[in-house]
Amino acid sequence: MIYLYVEQIFVYISFLILFLVTLLNLINFFFEIDKINHFSNNGMKFAFLCTTGFLTTRFFQTQHLPLGNLYESLMFLSWGFSFLYLISNVKNKKRLSAPVLATSALLVHAFAVLSLPHKMRESMSLVPALQSQWLMMHVSTTLISYATLLFGSLLAIVLLSIFHGEIKRYCVGNLTNNFEFRNKNYPLISKNFPKQIITESFSYSLFLNSRKCQLIHLLDKWTYQAISLGFSFLTIGIISGAVWANEAWGSYWSWDPKETWALITWLIYAIYLHIRINKKWMGKGSTMAASMGFFLVWICFLGVNLLGVGLHNYDWLI
Amino acid sequence: MNTIQHLSTEAPSVLGGHRLLKSSSCSYFVTTAHGFLLARRMLSGISQPEKYRRILVNSYNRKQSNSSNTTVKTSTKLPSVDHLTPSDAPSVSNAEGREDAASSSQWKERKDDGVDVRAGFSSGKDKKPALLTDSFEYFAFLRRLKRTAEKLLSSFPLAIAELAIIGALCAVGTLIEQGQSREFYLQKYSEDWAFGLFNGEWVLNLCLDHVYTAPYFLGLLALLAASLIACTSSRQIPLVKIARRWRFVNSGASISKLDFHETLPHARLADLAVLLAGDKYQVFMRGPSLYAFKGLAGRFAPIGVHAALLLIMGGATYSAIGGYHGTIMVPQGLNFMVGEAMYPAGFLSQPPDSFDTEVHINKFTIETYPNGEVSQFRTDLSLFNLRGQEVSRKVISVNDPLRYGGFTMYQTDWGISTIQIHVDGEGPFNLVAAPLQTGDNKLFGTFLPIGDNGLAGAKGISMLARDLQSVVIYDSNGAFAGVRRSGSEKPITVDGVTIIIDDIIGSTGLEMKLDPGVPIVYAGFAALMLTTVLSYLCHLQVWALQVDDSLVVGAKSNRNRAEFAEDLGKLLNFVPEIVRDRSMENIAPIISSTNEELSMQGTSAKMDNESSRS
Repeated sequence: MIYLYVEQIFVYISFLILFLVTLLNLINFFFEIDKINHFSNNGMKFAFLCTTGFLTTRFFQTQHLPLGNLYESLMFLSWGFSFLYLISNVKNKKRLSAPVLATSALLVHAFAVLSLPHKMRESMSLVPALQSQWLMMHVSTTLISYATLLFGSLLAIVLLSIFHGEIKRYCVGNLTNNFEFRNKNYPLISKNFPKQIITESFSYSLFLNSRKCQLIHLLDKWTYQAISLGFSFLTIGIISGAVWANEAWGSYWSWDPKETWALITWLIYAIYLHIRINKKWMGKGSTMAASMGFFLVWICFLGVNLLGVGLHNYDWLI
Repeated sequence: MNTIQHLSTEAPSVLGGHRLLKSSSCSYFVTTAHGFLLARRMLSGISQPEKYRRILVNSYNRKQSNSSNTTVKTSTKLPSVDHLTPSDAPSVSNAEGREDAASSSQWKERKDDGVDVRAGFSSGKDKKPALLTDSFEYFAFLRRLKRTAEKLLSSFPLAIAELAIIGALCAVGTLIEQGQSREFYLQKYSEDWAFGLFNGEWVLNLCLDHVYTAPYFLGLLALLAASLIACTSSRQIPLVKIARRWRFVNSGASISKLDFHETLPHARLADLAVLLAGDKYQVFMRGPSLYAFKGLAGRFAPIGVHAALLLIMGGATYSAIGGYHGTIMVPQGLNFMVGEAMYPAGFLSQPPDSFDTEVHINKFTIETYPNGEVSQFRTDLSLFNLRGQEVSRKVISVNDPLRYGGFTMYQTDWGISTIQIHVDGEGPFNLVAAPLQTGDNKLFGTFLPIGDNGLAGAKGISMLARDLQSVVIYDSNGAFAGVRRSGSEKPITVDGVTIIIDDIIGSTGLEMKLDPGVPIVYAGFAALMLTTVLSYLCHLQVWALQVDDSLVVGAKSNRNRAEFAEDLGKLLNFVPEIVRDRSMENIAPIISSTNEELSMQGTSAKMDNESSRS
């Protein structure tokens, strides 16, 4: 019983803190107050610790990784988002990804806490098919891949919706930094000006354009990095699932709906990575592919369980 | 300074692999990659004659359409892809080709010697090759065919379209339930969806009830495999060859054509070399020019990804046409022959000797958690060979199969075969249980007839069981009589008959597979996992040339150009600038100010700009 109380404390505290952090991040996004930055970072660290506490409590209670049912998977996904928040906090000083990640963590957490019936939140013992060492590797890598891919796709959606018509002009392939201007004769010119603008004019009225260009550039770069990391994880997740299926049931691919949708997600992100290389289609095409990936990941994660057929249906959404 | 090689003035070999092998800090992967290409080169030495004849024919063909200068150029070029110039082949190589033709005669001579040695079959590069035989024309035709096929199949929109259509078909397969009977589809899609355009008939005609084995789906997969092969052989491998061939640049103009280039005044090549080596580049210097690269694995890994995918597809095909599969439900205590239960999957299936094994089920148990839920299914199996000796014995459970003689036996299902009872002290009788409900919630029932009403009007006691532990008993009128646990020896009197439930005998559902393609598929899986991760490494190349007192630096990367530019810029900041004091020319130069200080002004100004903008 004590486990139940401890879990609930962790869950509700982290929910509250995530809510506050999301609010703070959204305010910070528009008004840029330094103190808010500080508070939201520490708040997120605390929420991360609380969610980790929940997961470890479940682990001690059930002696297996807390990935058995939908509730635990959603909490793990929220944990993944907060972990990504902390990682991106270290690298990205421009704080573009913070509102996105905080909001995602909050929404997933809220869905798990508020919308799932109480019965589903209990920890349950594993059915025989899940009692395997592969459970840890397959489910955890797949969920982490979902978190990173969702993050990348969200950034792509942001990029597409804000800069709908202009990605082509400022896309990454054309942003070649021209080193010649880093000469000592022009110490004041930042080397991040795109080449076209430099050659056209030196007027500082193009300052704003440069900021937009930087934003597009950064969003694109972060989308690419997140999606490429998520793609590697998704590959490992799908393959470990296939190997597990072979060890358990003798068939490494049985066109189960969840497997098939994971493959479709893998294909769309492979398309994204390939379009990104092509000079003609990069920019708009790749962003659209990544945006579609967002919906496919959600279908793969939740939609398939609604269908109710196949190996992955454990009566989660009754 | 260990990694800087001052090359002797030998002619560079085609691969140059042996020189890289001497480098002391060469990574293992680079060594093996070069070794692989060396080996392939040596093995393909057999087919060298055709290759060089082809080059000569091409040069002859080009000579017919262009001026004679081109011939010289192609013959001084080391053998490469004859028609496809990959889009981002560095202009450096072309420039160098021209430059070399005009540069020192010593260099040119050596290259010409190379050509003559290699093209020992013809007497010169300008004459039409004398060895134009019929077989040669046949080879030329084949090569042309291969090239057209490659060009068609490796087109980029085709690849994207293939991936997208395969994805869409997979999605359709999840929306429409697969593998059901014909009536199911006719009934389910009977009302006219989509204004009569789509109904059950369409589903069956378009093979949408078995999309994943439909001919068009398999054809698309085959096309994808062909595209992968074409793309790898026609685009990626030549890129690798060109990228690997380190070329020293002899003119600053060609460096300036690269994406990233910079001129550092008053700098020394050796300083740059040291800095690059410190940043884990492989550095090579010859005379005034320098070439460095890093992350060669990033060039090979995409090829590895495609190769791994091909391995997986090949293995899966082999499984589909060369395996065995069988399912069987065996009551506890009975035997079966493995070979009788297995069905071949395709035309390449070869039954192994181990199919003559007899399997005996010793015991089947279901373990439960304290709350009653099932925790594990266990089956104790013994395998006997034809002579009756026990060759294997194992207790298998759901995630723990039995492997013997190439086939594997999995625990996948269970049932109840009989209920053993004593009736009025007589017995034991085995009543066969029939499945009333299958799937996740199984229900089995059996019937003990009472009286002599014949088959039609038989009345009796019904017994139902959901698991191997207890039986629910109903009397002749269908009223609930009681529950008994098996093995409790507690009698129950129903309709005047005393029944003791002795045992509920279960049957185990086993699935057996012989899958010859699994090792291939596993190898493909491992390769795919590794190469997917590796292909995010950037292959970075830096060329530098000392022009009088200043240094011209150019660089190229195959991904992530912007970040590479920043990193290289930071590295170049550390190259010291040498200010020579004219009066003390003979003494070593004094380093009075570094480029770092100068660019610090620039960076501090840049930081001001950034902070004012952010």
